[in-house]
Amino acid sequence: MKLRRNTVIFVTFLVCSYFFFASGATAAEKYNLGVALGLTGAGALYSADGVEGIKLAVDEINAKGGLLGQHKVELFIRDSQTKPDVGVREVKDLILRDKIRAVINDYSSAVAVAVKPIAQEYKVLHIASISNSENITKINPSPYTFQVVPNSYMQAKAIAVGIAKLAKQKGWKEYITIASDYEWGRSTQAETVKFLKEMAPNLVLKKEFWPRLGEAQFTSYITGIMAMKPDFVVGCIASNDNVAWMEQAKTYGFFDKIPYPGSLITVTELQLQAKTLPRNIIALTRGPFFAHMDNPMMADFVKNYRAKYNKFPSDWAVLSYDAVYALKQGVEKAKSIDTEKVKDAMKGLTVNLTRGKLTFRTIDNQLSCSSYLGTIADDPRYPFPIYKDIVEVKGSESERPEKEILEARKATK
Amino acid sequence: MKNKYLFPVILFLLAVALPFIVPEFWVHVLTEILIMGLFAASFNMIFGYMGQLTFGHAAYYGVGAYTTGLLMVKANVPLLVCLPLSMLSAGLCAAVLGYFCVKLRGIYFAILTMAFGQLVYYIIFQWYSFTGGDNGLQGIVPPAFLGKAANPYYFFTLIVVAIGMIALWIISESPFGYTMRAIRDNAERTEFIGINIQRYMHLNFIIAAMFAGLAGALWGPFNRSVAPDLCNWQHSGMPVFMTVMGGPFHFLGPLIGSAIYTMMMAFVTSFTEYWPMVSGIVIIIVVLVMPGGLLGLLGDRLPFLRKIGGSSKKTNQ
Amino acid sequence: MDITSLFTQFLSGLTYGTILFLVAAGLSLIFGVMNILNFAHAALWLMGAYFSYTFWNLMQEHSFAFWLSIPLAGLAAAAVGWVLEMVLIRRIYKRELYEQLLITYSIALILSDTIKLTWGVTNKLIVRPEMIRKPVFIFGAPLDSYFIFVILAGAAVAVGLWWFLKYTRYGHIVKAAVHSREMVAALGIPIPQIDTWVFTLGIFLAGFAGGIQAPIGSITLGMDTAIIIQAFCVVVIGGFGSLLGTLVGSLIVGLVMSFTILFWPEGAMVLIFVITAAILIVRPWGLFGTPMRT
Repeated sequence: MKLRRNTVIFVTFLVCSYFFFASGATAAEKYNLGVALGLTGAGALYSADGVEGIKLAVDEINAKGGLLGQHKVELFIRDSQTKPDVGVREVKDLILRDKIRAVINDYSSAVAVAVKPIAQEYKVLHIASISNSENITKINPSPYTFQVVPNSYMQAKAIAVGIAKLAKQKGWKEYITIASDYEWGRSTQAETVKFLKEMAPNLVLKKEFWPRLGEAQFTSYITGIMAMKPDFVVGCIASNDNVAWMEQAKTYGFFDKIPYPGSLITVTELQLQAKTLPRNIIALTRGPFFAHMDNPMMADFVKNYRAKYNKFPSDWAVLSYDAVYALKQGVEKAKSIDTEKVKDAMKGLTVNLTRGKLTFRTIDNQLSCSSYLGTIADDPRYPFPIYKDIVEVKGSESERPEKEILEARKATK
Repeated sequence: MKNKYLFPVILFLLAVALPFIVPEFWVHVLTEILIMGLFAASFNMIFGYMGQLTFGHAAYYGVGAYTTGLLMVKANVPLLVCLPLSMLSAGLCAAVLGYFCVKLRGIYFAILTMAFGQLVYYIIFQWYSFTGGDNGLQGIVPPAFLGKAANPYYFFTLIVVAIGMIALWIISESPFGYTMRAIRDNAERTEFIGINIQRYMHLNFIIAAMFAGLAGALWGPFNRSVAPDLCNWQHSGMPVFMTVMGGPFHFLGPLIGSAIYTMMMAFVTSFTEYWPMVSGIVIIIVVLVMPGGLLGLLGDRLPFLRKIGGSSKKTNQ
Repeated sequence: MDITSLFTQFLSGLTYGTILFLVAAGLSLIFGVMNILNFAHAALWLMGAYFSYTFWNLMQEHSFAFWLSIPLAGLAAAAVGWVLEMVLIRRIYKRELYEQLLITYSIALILSDTIKLTWGVTNKLIVRPEMIRKPVFIFGAPLDSYFIFVILAGAAVAVGLWWFLKYTRYGHIVKAAVHSREMVAALGIPIPQIDTWVFTLGIFLAGFAGGIQAPIGSITLGMDTAIIIQAFCVVVIGGFGSLLGTLVGSLIVGLVMSFTILFWPEGAMVLIFVITAAILIVRPWGLFGTPMRT
């Protein structure tokens, strides 16, 4: 009896140790990639697309054996709920429990700014692929944080360039802004107003409206603005709120009465609101696939994305896909998955992305990428309207000068 | 030998030993358990001992968190100085708001505390220039003598929370604490013996808020940031959950509840995003099946888990 | 600011108030009769909105799909409410306040996640029929034409409930129960049945309100946590269990929000909570509630 029992224990022990040791033994180390986006909350709309872009990229990379042909990428996806404290907790979880080496985060600039010091403390790469407040890279810079989206300064400059031209043409004088009251809305609105003051000094900002993030009822704002009869309105509203805002404003005939140039209307809104979106307004976005179909990488991406998800990719899918490939090329330059080597390799790196050959600026790890202005118009090739007469404002044309960045950093010390 | 302090001492020793056994992730979880445990224990001063349900206790937690956050980030005040200052600011807030709350009882008390909680939340949320609004405050780090690693801050939290719990224990076992129980059990009669119950309730409210503020103050450096959501009604629901899970009629109930809730959350969130649903189901089961919480269930069997008196049928209307 | 713009803001506030009324009516009724503050009310409202989207989606080819989906949403939500009452709510009528609040709050959490599981995280958009896509102008002030329907629906619900309470036998029983459950039971009327039907009716109203809300903007997760607190404020200000109170309370909240946005946008919610707190301190049973209730 005793011998039987002891044998069983011994064999169990052997089997367990085999599994325990074998699991780490032979296979090349996986590359744990974390994704913490606002899957619920105000960012849900854009974040879902971001995840799809990332999954496609990871599938493609793993099909070829993984990073450097040997490290398969394993995804860990969490919901930051578009809230800074939840985002921080989820990223900390990802780092400590799932042992990720890099995290793609977030939809909300506020969350990205909160996660930045955490990533820096734990020495984990942090790539922003949707949120774009300039404060992610301008001040308190972290060598682990990289931005592949045109930031709020770049976008604001592009908007202002477009609006200033129109204002001169049409003799506009007074305008109103409506911007979501959170980090991105505030920084975009502030920069746009500042640029407009420089480029079109005769324009007067009559009033600022600040609906809160997650606002579902825009009626009071719509009627308030229309009552004041401005020459034009600049909108800085995104994702779920943007859809609600535009749908509601449309029913008041807002867009027929008041020019609404330069607001963020991304491929998401173009697809979702195809039937109701006002045509012939000038809008701005960050990564429209149709602006780069001549680039083979983009054409392939669109083809594979459509095959996998049965729809066209929005900006967020494009940008997040680019984020993964930027990381891949960083790993290839470093010839290692070691985070320290990769972060050094990515500094100032030129990468081949769907949007073309782009370079990370060394001073702030911001990718020198373009902002896209265009006029909303129907196109027979697609079941939704796209941008016509696209004006691509390149990164080099819209970046904040390095001198100003250094000054801003000194000021916050 | 049935020492009534046996259980807390065992817990404390366990708390000291665990960081050396478990991976770093769980040390973070333990720190959170301690902070939320103090928060829940302070809530129980109003709920278990005084018999009123407050659904706005997170306001004082949040005020404490922001006080420490603001002082550390904007004025470089050392953490040890921030802690009592956070208690003070939370106490002042409670002095003002609590004055009105204690005029009411039952559901009205609950809703007024919730309304005040939302008021504090919106003030912090909208006051962007001062509090950073919905961005929250970033860059709150533990002081140099603790450093950023998990263990030192954990032990610091353990000491502060232990002191806080001992203070709460002394208060609850004092004549003041027994007056609270009397008010809970029968306010009218207590008034008849000459006690100004509103004054006592107000004072208890302030004390509870001060310790919530202390818990909040510990949170900022731990999380490296604070956000307005620390004040909202959903966060106010946390100590309610935890206290009910652990047992509102035992002094250590809230702390045990915090341990159960936080560990459950850490486990469940690793394999599903539907933690709210799971937590909802657990609470329903606890409320329907174990109204005295875990300690209520065990307390009948284990004599060293002392009851603080009262039963689940006695909240004051 | 001229008359037209003020009138516009008034219409805006009126519409928002109507939506709040539809959400809060059921909440007030349930609290009045059963003394339960239903934290899950907004989650059922949101579920109603999603239900109406699903019904609309299924019947899209028919022109009446848009309109029919609204009462259907109410019925679907009422079915969920009925099940909830039978399984859970009826166990907590005699329980302590904190147990009731925790249970309804937990139901809210479970329902929110159920919505997420069933309908996913992307926004749902209902396309309106052609006739309500353009605004109408009232004295020069623009009003989303759908809102005419909303205001009419709100008025219809208000009148319907008033008529029900004043002129039908069931309504009399409900009104009596608001005053005193014990008396009603003492008269031999089966309180448990009343409870089930009142709860189901209250949830029908919530689901119906969700159906009404659905075509405004888009439907998205998290809308319930935003509106539940405002609904509480409405019921507190107006008075639990009072139909008139809920109507007045919702109009007050709607108009205060819409006018405050003009001169103190950040302060709109703050002001609402200050008013709510003031009412609780000065007159806890609300403007039209009954003082003898505890």
